[in-house]
Amino acid sequence: MGKVIFSSWSGKIVDNRKGKTPKASKPADITFPKPPEEEKVLALIGWNGLVVMNPEADILSLTLHYLEQIRKLSCGECSVCMIGIDKLLHIMRQMDEGKGSKADIAEMKAIIKQVSVNSKCGFGQSALFPVLDAIKYCKSDFLALIKGERGLEDKDYSYAVTAPCMDTCPAGLDIPGYIELIRNNKFEESLSLIRENCILPGVVGRVCTRPCEDACVRKDIDEPVSIRLLKRAAADYDLQHGGSSLNGPQKEREERIAIIGAGPAGLAAAYNLRLMGYGVTIFESLPHAGGMAAVGIPEYRLPRDILNHEAGLIKRTGVEIKVNAKVEKLSLKDLKKRGYTAVFVAVGAHRGTKIGAEGEDKGYEGFVDGVEFLRNLNLGKKVQPRKKVIVIGGGNTALDCARSCTRIGFDDVEIIYRRSRVEMPASDEEIEEAEKEGVKFNYLMTPLKILAKDGKATGVECIKMRLGAPDESGRRRPVPIKGSEFTMDTDMIIPAIGQRPELPVIPDTEKIEITKWGTIRADPITYMTDVEGVFAGGDCVTGPAILIDALNTGNRVAKSIDCYLQGRSLTGGISFEGADLKRQMGRGFTVRVPAQDVDFLDVKKRAGSFEEVEGGFGAVEAIREAQRCLRCYRVVVWEKAP
Amino acid sequence: MVTIVIDGHKVKAKESSTILENTQELNIDIPTLCYHMDLSPFGACRLCAVEVKTNGKWQLATSCNTPVEEGMELRTDSALLQESRKLTAEFLYYRYPTTEAVREVARKLGVQTPVEKGEGHDCILCGLCVRTCREIVGVSALTFQDRGLNRNIDEPKIEYDPNTCIGCGACAYVCPTGYVQMEAVDDKRIIWNKVFKMAACNVCGSFFAPEDQLRYISRITGVPFSELTICTSCR
Repeated sequence: MGKVIFSSWSGKIVDNRKGKTPKASKPADITFPKPPEEEKVLALIGWNGLVVMNPEADILSLTLHYLEQIRKLSCGECSVCMIGIDKLLHIMRQMDEGKGSKADIAEMKAIIKQVSVNSKCGFGQSALFPVLDAIKYCKSDFLALIKGERGLEDKDYSYAVTAPCMDTCPAGLDIPGYIELIRNNKFEESLSLIRENCILPGVVGRVCTRPCEDACVRKDIDEPVSIRLLKRAAADYDLQHGGSSLNGPQKEREERIAIIGAGPAGLAAAYNLRLMGYGVTIFESLPHAGGMAAVGIPEYRLPRDILNHEAGLIKRTGVEIKVNAKVEKLSLKDLKKRGYTAVFVAVGAHRGTKIGAEGEDKGYEGFVDGVEFLRNLNLGKKVQPRKKVIVIGGGNTALDCARSCTRIGFDDVEIIYRRSRVEMPASDEEIEEAEKEGVKFNYLMTPLKILAKDGKATGVECIKMRLGAPDESGRRRPVPIKGSEFTMDTDMIIPAIGQRPELPVIPDTEKIEITKWGTIRADPITYMTDVEGVFAGGDCVTGPAILIDALNTGNRVAKSIDCYLQGRSLTGGISFEGADLKRQMGRGFTVRVPAQDVDFLDVKKRAGSFEEVEGGFGAVEAIREAQRCLRCYRVVVWEKAP
Repeated sequence: MVTIVIDGHKVKAKESSTILENTQELNIDIPTLCYHMDLSPFGACRLCAVEVKTNGKWQLATSCNTPVEEGMELRTDSALLQESRKLTAEFLYYRYPTTEAVREVARKLGVQTPVEKGEGHDCILCGLCVRTCREIVGVSALTFQDRGLNRNIDEPKIEYDPNTCIGCGACAYVCPTGYVQMEAVDDKRIIWNKVFKMAACNVCGSFFAPEDQLRYISRITGVPFSELTICTSCR
């Protein structure tokens, strides 16, 4: 991107135009949205200001085009936003036709002010500020338009829409959009919109760690909109009303694609490729589709029938899922012989990470890795409850193991974690529910040695820790306290501190690079590995990540494979990194409304049962919750060099 | 009860009542277009805006859907508000210049409009029909059409679902502009272009309600259909 000639982004004025002295910050300090690199941008206008990179830029036409774009997103529910935008468009067109006057500029400013202070939602309150910047800092252009010295023209534009929640969502779901549909009692349409980027809505609506809610503007006012539960509400409503099917392909294509692993990434890629008309076969080593969603998450958080239903819908579009079909050795040559033109490796990360304690490799009875423990449980293998179990780790897998143990009859379930509760990666709700279920938490200690007798684990030797300076993750690093060693007796030990992929699938001859973390190296944009036609993504590339990340990878890989088969290469989109999406120049008075509650299963009923713990919204509560959304859509339009 | 300050006067207000409910009780005139006391407030027309002091600054808030809070300070008639309401009315008049309900409120707020009666019957998206259908009738045959990303719809409008509608006519009754029209021809009622067969009263023989509506009442109350086919005057 070239030099910045003018910028009002984030309210910082940089003006390097003739005769004006630059003030405030240097151009390097401005973080405005970055359009894809291959596009030559002349100027850009968005919710947070105006940026001009090239003297050839036509600010008047750009402003008009921006107004046309935001007009499409103004919902029309309140009178001022949409009509205000209409009036501005009308005034600019009148100016262009020679019917304007200087007074029109004052009127435009008055309209913008009125829309900004009196709009019902965050969209209207913020969308018009950059137009004010255009009028203020490019006034001579507007005067020239009135005099007929300049005209409005149609140039080459691109535009992008986001919101604080959307940009944080790994899959970029149109969150204000699907919430708006629920608000208007259109659950079916809401679900269709969700499915465009998230093919497992009932699953994600239950287990997502919801980074979107952390970014929700409402969080700074009262509490975030329950975005995850609204997604679940759309999926639940559909099931309660008979269950709709997924769209199938419009036309069939000849090429067939092999996918290794029927986890979220594999399923998302499979469905999207199928929708484009490709033949898709998934090879799954386990007896069920779903990957970690099937064997890594206990049923009390994700009932199996929800996952099976959603995977079944994908299957019904014509995706072939071969279960119990472990691919021992991946060979593109073999697959090509069998008619597949591209492969997507999405084998996940189903192997536990070592905890670094003495004796962990000895194969002691009663020492079971967390992912393996959950896999066995989910595959219906009988786990013999013992008196006491110690779970090592502080993430969701550790919590899932501990909470499962309280359900299968362990008397005493304890977690040991090397930092304190504040640093624990598991969500607060998970920790609270686990505490209610009787899980005991021991903070600031780490295992040194697994104690055993006659080949059976009997205890753990631990050392106490204190918190030192923050590490690269921003959390305070735990430091052992010398001489504080002690032992804990137990009948079972479940280490659950991390996962890595199991990769016998890649033979050396294929030259696919494996990183030092045991993950596959793939291009971050195209997802292609070092071997042409072989793509990889999901946990086996990133290491354990959240489900919605995997869905996004699947969606992107499908696009990338489609591009590859047509001889093109997938390119990146606009980046909003650092662009201050929460900033909203206008903000009306927002009434504080607490989020709607859902019921939780009575704690007394949880032992001995894997019944779902968290309830969902009914239609009435969902509509009420949806009305809390402030609709913080942010639009950006840029003019490209011809 | 909470204490609030309206235009400098201390006033007692019911907890969780809205600003508008309190100003109406005090006979303070605040214009409205989308408000109805029996429906949930919507905040669509923006005419009922008042000023609320938040963190020392005056901010606009629509009085119909803003609940009072202890110590809340309000202004209902400042020069800024008069200007803002007039501008909102100008907006509405700009878009719906021939609709009488809009012209009336615009004139009241100082917008110059020609004196002759407006002949238009525009939908001004006040949502009274949508809310009545959902909250009073309980069928949700009317919804707002949605906008948003990738749904490039030129004009927002009210969507009508003929399969859910029972032909009760409440939407036509509540519509302030005459956009929702209801027509009666012999034993038929036409609303939203759908024709409903009217039931005749078992006693006087007059056509008094759509059969679909009676069937709906029968279904939700459990009263047999045959017992409902007597009009209110003969009951």
